[in-house]
Amino acid sequence: MEHIIFYIFSAILVLSALMVITVRNPVHAALFLVLAFFTSAALWLLLEAEFLALILVLVYVGAVMVLFLFVVMMLDINLTVLREGFTSYLPVGALIATLILIEMALVVGPEHFGLDSVAAPVPHTAGYSNTQALGNVLYTVYVYPFEIAGVILLVAIIGAIALTLRRRPQTKYQDPSQQVLVRSKDRVRIIKMPSEKKRGGA
Amino acid sequence: MEQVYLGIVLAPLFGAVLAGLFGRYIGRSGSHWVTIAGVAVSFALSLLVFKQIIIDGAAPFNGAIYTWMVSDGIKFEIGFLVDQLTALMIVVVTFVSLMVHIYTIGYMHDDPGYQRFFSYIALFTFSMLMLVMSNNFLQLFFGWEAVGLVSYLLIGFWFQRESAIYANLKAFLVNRVGDLGFLLGIAVILMHFNTLDYAQIFKMAPHLAHETVTFIPGYEWSLMTVICILLFIGAMGKSAQVPLHVWLPDSMEGPTPISALIHAATMVTAGIFMVARMSPLFELSETALSFMMLIGAVTALSMGLLGIVQNDIKRVVAYSTLSQLGYMTVALGASAYAGAIFHLMTHAFFKALLFLAAGSVIIALHHEQDIRKMGALKNHLPITYWTFLIGTLALIGFPGFSGFFSKDAIIEAVYESTLPGAGMAYAAVMIGVFVTALYSFRLLFLVFHGESRVDAHTRKHLHESPWVVTVPLIALAIPSVIMGAIHAGPMLFHDFFGKAIFVLPQHDVLAHMGREYQGVMGFVLHGLIEPPVWLAFAGIATAWWCYIKHPEIPAVVMSRCATLYRILCNKYGFDDFNDTVFAGGGRRFGRLLWQVGDVTVVDGVMVNGTARGIGWFSSVVRHVQTGYLYHYAFAIIIGLVLMLGWPLLSQ
Amino acid sequence: MDFTLPNFAPAMPEIFVLSMACIILIVDLFLTEHTRVVTYLLSLITLIAAAVLTANLDTAEPVLTFSGTFINDSMAVVLKLFIYLITFVVLVYSHNYLRTRQLYQGEYFVLILFAVLGMMVLVSAHSLLTIYLGLELLSLSLYTLVALRRDSVSASEAAMKYFVLGALASGILLYGLSMLYGVTGSLDIGNISSHISTSIATPAEHSIVLVFALVFVLVGILFKLGAVPFHMWVPDVYHGAPTSVTLFIGTAPKIAAFAMLMRLLVDGLGDLHSQWQTMIIIVAVLSMAAGNIIAIAQTNLKRMLAYSTIAHVGFLLLGILSGTLNGYASSMFYVIVYALMSLGGFGMIILLSRAGFEADRLEDFKGLNQRSPWFAFMMLILMFSMAGVPPTVGFYAKLAVLQAVVEADLVWLAVLAVVFSVIGAYYYLRIIKLMYFDQPDDVAPLAAGFDMRLAMSANGLAILGLGLFPSGLLTLCARALNP
Repeated sequence: MEHIIFYIFSAILVLSALMVITVRNPVHAALFLVLAFFTSAALWLLLEAEFLALILVLVYVGAVMVLFLFVVMMLDINLTVLREGFTSYLPVGALIATLILIEMALVVGPEHFGLDSVAAPVPHTAGYSNTQALGNVLYTVYVYPFEIAGVILLVAIIGAIALTLRRRPQTKYQDPSQQVLVRSKDRVRIIKMPSEKKRGGA
Repeated sequence: MEQVYLGIVLAPLFGAVLAGLFGRYIGRSGSHWVTIAGVAVSFALSLLVFKQIIIDGAAPFNGAIYTWMVSDGIKFEIGFLVDQLTALMIVVVTFVSLMVHIYTIGYMHDDPGYQRFFSYIALFTFSMLMLVMSNNFLQLFFGWEAVGLVSYLLIGFWFQRESAIYANLKAFLVNRVGDLGFLLGIAVILMHFNTLDYAQIFKMAPHLAHETVTFIPGYEWSLMTVICILLFIGAMGKSAQVPLHVWLPDSMEGPTPISALIHAATMVTAGIFMVARMSPLFELSETALSFMMLIGAVTALSMGLLGIVQNDIKRVVAYSTLSQLGYMTVALGASAYAGAIFHLMTHAFFKALLFLAAGSVIIALHHEQDIRKMGALKNHLPITYWTFLIGTLALIGFPGFSGFFSKDAIIEAVYESTLPGAGMAYAAVMIGVFVTALYSFRLLFLVFHGESRVDAHTRKHLHESPWVVTVPLIALAIPSVIMGAIHAGPMLFHDFFGKAIFVLPQHDVLAHMGREYQGVMGFVLHGLIEPPVWLAFAGIATAWWCYIKHPEIPAVVMSRCATLYRILCNKYGFDDFNDTVFAGGGRRFGRLLWQVGDVTVVDGVMVNGTARGIGWFSSVVRHVQTGYLYHYAFAIIIGLVLMLGWPLLSQ
Repeated sequence: MDFTLPNFAPAMPEIFVLSMACIILIVDLFLTEHTRVVTYLLSLITLIAAAVLTANLDTAEPVLTFSGTFINDSMAVVLKLFIYLITFVVLVYSHNYLRTRQLYQGEYFVLILFAVLGMMVLVSAHSLLTIYLGLELLSLSLYTLVALRRDSVSASEAAMKYFVLGALASGILLYGLSMLYGVTGSLDIGNISSHISTSIATPAEHSIVLVFALVFVLVGILFKLGAVPFHMWVPDVYHGAPTSVTLFIGTAPKIAAFAMLMRLLVDGLGDLHSQWQTMIIIVAVLSMAAGNIIAIAQTNLKRMLAYSTIAHVGFLLLGILSGTLNGYASSMFYVIVYALMSLGGFGMIILLSRAGFEADRLEDFKGLNQRSPWFAFMMLILMFSMAGVPPTVGFYAKLAVLQAVVEADLVWLAVLAVVFSVIGAYYYLRIIKLMYFDQPDDVAPLAAGFDMRLAMSANGLAILGLGLFPSGLLTLCARALNP
């Protein structure tokens, strides 16, 4: 039973990954990516990694991919231009891809990672909490990598801000403090002029 | 003490660097002050070392200061070996150098390259000190080459003169020939001893005395003979022995102070010093000793003969240097190392004196060097005359003067020597004494006595040189007189050098002579009844007869022996031979290589071919380095695939 | 759950640099263009203080902490000290450059400090996890630094290329790391090493997987080093990035990459030496060949130095592939020397540049001797050193690695390396020819300030001084690897 479920989800995963890079419409590609995330989450569930599976769905599908979809829809990228060289590169690309596939098959094939060479993990007892197990080690054993990961995120934020936050001279923006501080004489200039007589008639 | 040794070496270097790099900022007087101060410090410290090692009898120092690198278990170090030999050498070197420095102030007074000159001579002193204080072959070689390099710079100091450039090139090339031998010698030592350290080599040498090596199949040579002869070839280059002597007379193209420095204290003595330092090796090869004795004898006599026909005041002195170097080499060959070093020391003083005095004459005559245009200068240049006379007397070995002791000791040692060739060498050095006296007094008479041949204009302005010139002359004249008497006993016959010089008992001629030694007076009296002194007197008499009494005789002799005169004037044809065979042949060979090798192969195939190849290659590469991101990514993937494929295929 | 608090002491420098980076980030918010020098000075102080902290660590024995993910040993200390030193000089060199080019932002300094932190993590990593995280921290900071000059098209392009290719290489590396984990069941370098040595003793069924993991890991490292065929990003990024950033990328991170190589390949996969030796030989030969030959065709100095970097990486790998302690020490010597030379080379470009003028073409060096004999001499020393001419230190660096190669009985490789370095000498000497024998096109006086001139002179003289007295640094490297 488990095997059948595994193979079904794996097949969907591989296929949807393939679709991500081949479909013409970028929105469709993004959606296939969502599908790929869902199926891999399902695979993780099979491994009793419930917490990770849920996080994958929440973070990647719920946050990252939605943002991604927004961007794709807003930018309206013309993919046909990007794909112009596709056919001319296809033969070489396919050759290399096949080579990698063969090489990988030789290595990660069943003789090294098959069911009989890697013992099946012992199922956990009913009270086992995946989340708790992670929580126990995250701030203790793995505190150093965890902190560095935090720093990486900080750098990412700094980088993102530094690269996007800038004032273009032609950008129009309001400065409320300037608006509040404005005085009437800045706006209206009263000029006294001597009254002039109407010259002549109409 | 290490600081003191370092100070001796570095003080002149410091002066040289300051004067050389910052000469423009510190000015002319700044330059001479800083270099003179450097050498003076060095001299003072040398005296201190001399006192400690020789007078107080402190133990010799031998140690590394800095390990430059270690490669393959062989240490390359900078280190000092300071024993009696070194202590003596550094005193001589720094003293003569100091005198030359002071003298230079006067001699180079108007020269535009003033600072440069001071920088060079201080650097020269530094190089020589490195050489004599070294405790290993690497540093010895460094000093050796540095001396060669600076001499190149100095001989060509007036680089606007065609002849100076020719001379310095010649000096450099001839020295290269010697240096090649020297370098090969060091290489053989490194190969068989696996170290460059003197102490270790000397310790191992007796065990390797009977080793043989085979370079050409079927011929076996004694290892020691090979090493010693190769090293001696180096010494022949530096100490100007026949046939590698040709550079030295031409080196007179340099300013006179440098002639004094090269010929008296530094460069030419390097070879003699090196052989004395290597005495534990040379003692093990009688073949090499005989070889040295013969080469020295040939040099001593043949170069002395050339001195008779020269007309340039400096060249006469230069040939006398060659001849005296021959004497030293003969002494080395006779295992009388102490005698050689003794003569080296006395020679350093009186030869420096002669050169500087000659320089003083040259200054007085506004850079006129031809002795046919001199004469009767005695009254115009009294100090120069008297000091020159002292130098000449010392040179010919007049009893009581320093040269007498050293030269007599050498002649006696050759007489005692039982090595093959000693008989011939003895004859050569004996005749050499007569020749030396002849050319020395010829020079003295032609320059200072007889008719004045100075042109009228110059004669009006004749006056004695300034004090910076005469003081060094006087300072050098004193040791030229007394040094021999003071040192003859201890240096020759008592254990002055201790373990610094090693002589096998069966070669020890000086010890043999020492048994009959009865003090300085005894030595002088004994000398008076020996043939050398009378030969010297005969030489003086001949010179007086030919150049004062009957000045017409030389011309007569010249016309009677025209062939002989021509041979001597052509300096036995060494220069012509070198020019046609080596230089000319080299040029022809070079032209051949240039046409076939360079133009066709190198230019045609390699240079242009490489250029074309690289042009082609870069055009290909330009296709690869497209600037497109996906191409780059693709290259990475291809690299990955190939690297993955490699272990699969190789398994 | 019993857990004892880890020993924080060995990681003090890291903690300090992180804290200071955050403080500087906040302090900088309150500064204006005119008072930004405070940020600069604070960064310099951070580096000095970190050096003091690092130097005071006890390295008699390697110390593991944070559950074995962090190691402090003498190699880490030496490499970190050089990273601080080089970053310090980078900041001094770039200070004026930044001010004249609207790059004078707090982010520049903060990102450099974060990159330093990343390098420190990498140098002290003892777990696949920390290696990867350190690498990412370093890379992310560098990507941002390259892109910092947003208005420059070439900088943006360079950043984009660097980012995408770097991500690809990271992916490959991560894949290899996961395979390693799959085979050995551990993230700890020590455990991996002992697992491999036991599995090699018995005929291993996992060996081919291990080799594949090795290849993926190797590709990741070689990309960071910029070895052929993973070098394509190097010229474009070096060329496109602002010179002050190129200066940084070309120097300190190479030391970190060397550390990564040592940790992963030598400490972790040392028993697979026979496997990776052949691969590295090929990569090294390709790097030396391509780097030296293509450099000849360059007219831009930054590009030329980029190719020269590739060639130098080839040399650096020679020491590693010998597989001996001597070899590793010679590589370490090489990488430090290379970083110092490269610092000088790019520093020279900055020195000659001024507002609105980048002196990065070869012609800009024409007749430098007439404009400034002293700095022409400094450049001469640097170029001699890069070409490996004695008595500069570059000669000893080359000599040391060649010695290691010869000791490993690979004489042909040593000969080949010498041939390539002779080819390479051509383009270094060409610069000297330009400086000394050509007439200057541009006779403007040098605009560099006193601090820059001082640092540049110290840099050049250090190359010469280390060449005259190389034994100190050589011994330091040998002792760092074999305490």
